Amino acid sequence: MLTNRDLRKSALLIWLVVHFLLLIAVSFRETLLLVSQGVTILPPGARTFSRKAESISAVPLALHLTESNPVRQTAATYLSFAGIDAGYGYFAPNVPNSYKLVFELHYRDGHTETRTPTENSGALDLRLVSLLDEIGRTQSDAFREYMIKKLAALIWREQPDVVTMRALLSQSVEPTPDDYKQGKRESDALLYAYNFSLVSETPAPKQ
Amino acid sequence: MSRRSRRWETLIDFFFYKESHQWLAILRIGLGVLVVLYALSLLNDWNYLFATSGEAVVTRDFAEALLFLQARFVPTLGWLVRAGESLGLREGLVLSASWVCLIGVGIGLLLGVFCRVSAIAAWFLHLCATKSGAFVTYGVDDFMTIGLFYLMLSPLPDRYTFDRWLRRTTPKSFLTLGFFRRVLQLHLSLIYFFSGLTKCLGSDWWNGLNLWRALTRPPFNVIPAELLVRWKLIFPIVGIAICLIEIGYPVFIWLKKTRSFWLIAVLLMHAAIGVMMGMYLFALVMIVLNLAAFAPDSFLFRKRCEPGVPIPSEID
Repeated sequence: MLTNRDLRKSALLIWLVVHFLLLIAVSFRETLLLVSQGVTILPPGARTFSRKAESISAVPLALHLTESNPVRQTAATYLSFAGIDAGYGYFAPNVPNSYKLVFELHYRDGHTETRTPTENSGALDLRLVSLLDEIGRTQSDAFREYMIKKLAALIWREQPDVVTMRALLSQSVEPTPDDYKQGKRESDALLYAYNFSLVSETPAPKQ
Repeated sequence: MSRRSRRWETLIDFFFYKESHQWLAILRIGLGVLVVLYALSLLNDWNYLFATSGEAVVTRDFAEALLFLQARFVPTLGWLVRAGESLGLREGLVLSASWVCLIGVGIGLLLGVFCRVSAIAAWFLHLCATKSGAFVTYGVDDFMTIGLFYLMLSPLPDRYTFDRWLRRTTPKSFLTLGFFRRVLQLHLSLIYFFSGLTKCLGSDWWNGLNLWRALTRPPFNVIPAELLVRWKLIFPIVGIAICLIEIGYPVFIWLKKTRSFWLIAVLLMHAAIGVMMGMYLFALVMIVLNLAAFAPDSFLFRKRCEPGVPIPSEID
């Protein structure tokens, strides 16, 4: 005869199995995604395998279902509640280059200044770097432009005398220790440039 | 008894053993401190990050809209703002009130006042902030959510709370006390395993380049590169050591002989991340989770169980 205590233990063990199944699925999937993107030291043959395995690991997370499906919504909600909706590949497999966003402010009187969103130092900078990484990594032109436009609008509110603004999104390439010793310093590779004015906002082509 | 039922008994003994309140007290106090520091670190920037008008980054509505498509029942600050608006309260006031509440529940956790309510409220408010600011989060937010989620489910209050002294609340059953500690221990083991595995798959952790990049990448470049470059010969050693500490964690943290060494190595690694990269909150949350999970069994703490309570079973 099962006691209340036994039933409670069984319920907790069932929760544990489901919880860790989801946790492992999320972590495995993120690792397999890295392998399938070819950013690891594994041979090219591993990419095909990891693509197949990644699609299997998506099943427990209900990612094969439509976004509005209740099962997928429930799984996503639980993952968010438990804080297990992301993997643990911090600074892995390699530390990516950082992104830099610089705004050139052109004032009514003709003078020009530059501003960056990360000038606060401290806790906020760590958070704005995450935002810049999102902007830099995204494949969506619309998302990138939307976010940069929002940041530009923020500066505009602070600096109402600015007539036009140019946003330059670049990737910073850090030198290796040997190169650094030889005097080489961080260099910026321009990725996107956007021109904004109070009248119209026109994105400039990639340079 | 058959082999199968013996295995079942072993499994049950592993998860449901009599445990002291030490680990839960460490988790509660540690997360209480973290919640307070998290809120204080955003004291001047709370509205800048989360408001949708005025001097704000304005990513909240976008993050919340995306989240709504994926998981519409996950709470956000937008929920609180809309609830406040229905009562005639302005967005700025609701956001400020949520910040004050976060500080309040953090202090509640720290002191052990209304522990359960404080834990649930801390988890809820922190989750709201994390999800509304999805584009401006980093590792510390994920780990705080994990810690607060387990704390909320654990049998609060523990023995070292004001609740126990002032309100004469009795500590809850031992049944789930050991269980949730095991859950935290297993979770940390998986975290480090996957973190170590993905690092091992990167070419530049083996030659130390990733360590150099991590330490010189803004805004983590706390130590001047001129100083760092002098230590370039030890970067490969430290890089490999980090990979080994992380991927070996799920094995060596469980073995009695290596537990204290591994715990100290991990704590030092996180302390170094905090000091050398300026990621103080991230370092602190990892230290708190590790201390709660494994310190009571290490030499750092002398095991102090309640009278008549046996020492927890261990894998040796």
